[in-house]
Amino acid sequence: MRPSHLAAFAIVTAATLSTATVPLRAEPPATDAATLQSAARVSGDPVRGRIVFGACRTCHYPDKGAGHQNGPSLWNIFGRQAGTQEGFAYYSEALKNSGLVWTPGYLDAWLANPQGFIQGTSMMSLGVPDPQQRADLIAYLMQFRDSP
Amino acid sequence: MPTPDRSRRRLLAGLGAASVLAAGSGCESRAPAARSEVRSWDHTVDVLIAGSGAAGTSAAITARAAGAEVLVIERLAKTGGSSAMSGGVCYLGGGTPLQKALGFEDSLEAMRDFMLAAGSLHPPRDKIELYCERSLEHFDWLVAQGVQYVQKFSESKELPFDGASLYYSGCELASPWRDIARPAPRGHVPTANGHTGGRALMEALLPAAERGGVRFMHNVSAERLVSESDGRIVGLVAREGEREIAIRARRGVVLACGGFIQNREMLRRHAPELYECSTPWANAGDMGIGIRMGMGVGASAIRMNQGFAILPLYPPERTIRAIVVNRAAQRFLPEDSYYAYAGHETAYNQHGKAWLVADADSSYDAGDFRMPLLAEAASIAELEAAGGFPEGALQQTVAYYNAQAERGVDPLWNKHPRWVAPLVKPPFRLYDLSVRTAFCPAHTFGGLETTVHGEVLDTAGIPIPGLYAAGRTSAGLPTAPYIASGVSIGDCTFFGRQAGAHAAAQEASA
Repeated sequence: MRPSHLAAFAIVTAATLSTATVPLRAEPPATDAATLQSAARVSGDPVRGRIVFGACRTCHYPDKGAGHQNGPSLWNIFGRQAGTQEGFAYYSEALKNSGLVWTPGYLDAWLANPQGFIQGTSMMSLGVPDPQQRADLIAYLMQFRDSP
Repeated sequence: MPTPDRSRRRLLAGLGAASVLAAGSGCESRAPAARSEVRSWDHTVDVLIAGSGAAGTSAAITARAAGAEVLVIERLAKTGGSSAMSGGVCYLGGGTPLQKALGFEDSLEAMRDFMLAAGSLHPPRDKIELYCERSLEHFDWLVAQGVQYVQKFSESKELPFDGASLYYSGCELASPWRDIARPAPRGHVPTANGHTGGRALMEALLPAAERGGVRFMHNVSAERLVSESDGRIVGLVAREGEREIAIRARRGVVLACGGFIQNREMLRRHAPELYECSTPWANAGDMGIGIRMGMGVGASAIRMNQGFAILPLYPPERTIRAIVVNRAAQRFLPEDSYYAYAGHETAYNQHGKAWLVADADSSYDAGDFRMPLLAEAASIAELEAAGGFPEGALQQTVAYYNAQAERGVDPLWNKHPRWVAPLVKPPFRLYDLSVRTAFCPAHTFGGLETTVHGEVLDTAGIPIPGLYAAGRTSAGLPTAPYIASGVSIGDCTFFGRQAGAHAAAQEASA
């Protein structure tokens, strides 16, 4: 998916994910299906997302020029290949090798269960279990890029 | 290196993995397992430590140095705990080599007087006194483990962003504390870029532990203590993936599993003021597991409602010239106090609600993420109406403040003259500082009651044999209001050492 496809802030739907070139495991547990489908239903509010994102600031700054801290900068994150930002030396091997390009849909799935989404991640976060809060957070993060 | 395709498949397969973090929620105490229930031990060590943050790792280094065989279990995939995500500041004084090299005079008495006066009523005097007495030795210990400090002082009121290792990290320069104890900068920050001092701290302590021969196990979560029929703690049952393992500790178990800011249910019950704060500030491990295991064997848990609640009024420092008011439009603190004091007063004493009233020269940059802008007006009267304050109340507050500020003084709260200036330049702005909507990081300080040696006390005040706690699993130096950055990490490292040393010195149980 190219970055330009993200401009409209379309959260990737379950259908989009499951028709990608990669198959899901044969019988995904119900919680995963719920997670993926929730992304399709929920639209995010960046104002609420500011508060949801607060806890992430322990490690991540999305603000332009704030740079990497304990976690990598999240400026212009969507459309970036995961685990490849220059100047950040603390990516897990799992993330570096994931081949993942960050989309709102992947971020949604990641935040639903960070430890489960990429096993071996070094992000020691509980994630954001609530689908609405995830959508809000993603809407908030969408603002931090060159041409919103 | 796997191809993207293969690794992505693995990644998606991971979606099905049960969240290890979902386990451990709930707020019930954790009943122990009886020794007789344990058929065989999967591992046997002298000192078993649950948690790999600053407290657990310091305990491990010290116990190992005393000759004990030490195992640290970490619930998450990565060691370091919340300490590794913190600023890494250690509150030290009394004339540390860094203070001296930078030309600051300090005394252990001044440090002690400040620590006794600025925090909670009835603070843990025995711990504060011991910590201050040993402050210089503790600095040397940190340096000996490889923690580095750069010889540079910062004027910053906030964790320095300029690579400096010494700053005034708390309330020392604000009123009334500056008159109670001679101020000195005591925030010692490990050399790091930006806000990564905690990572730098743990990048020194963790390898020091490994070099010394401490063993670490990741993704192993402490579940229940194991107690003998006489009440002695002899190990614990932990979860490693799908299976339970039993680990025997011949000399002692140290619970260093952090606080409970990530456990919403426990927070609601034990620390309602912190529950209200918008921003839990910790890694995923702070679920209160250690505290609950301790409570399950009859340990006393104290100051459970205390913690830090930070309202970062600064940076920039110009906003300190603004005033903070409550719902009656009255000021209730000197705005130049430590930002955790502002958060504390708001969270605990103002029902979680406060507002910042600024003029054009004391406003935040547009769009500052921390404090939502509620209203902007050409006069204080209009701002007052927009904010819903009682008619005339805010005008009176600002008029009085300005009249005094014209003379460069603040008789009400003694804000330092450096930040006292009348609020006269429109537009005037009203910012929302309520702990629910402002950026308000919070963390817990309540925990198991311990002696200065880290021994966990039962509700009768008697040590539970074989059981220790350190860091935010224990009720240590940091109390509410939080007095300075670095008191918590100082407590973790110092009293972690104390617990490790005491546990290692115990006679091995049969």
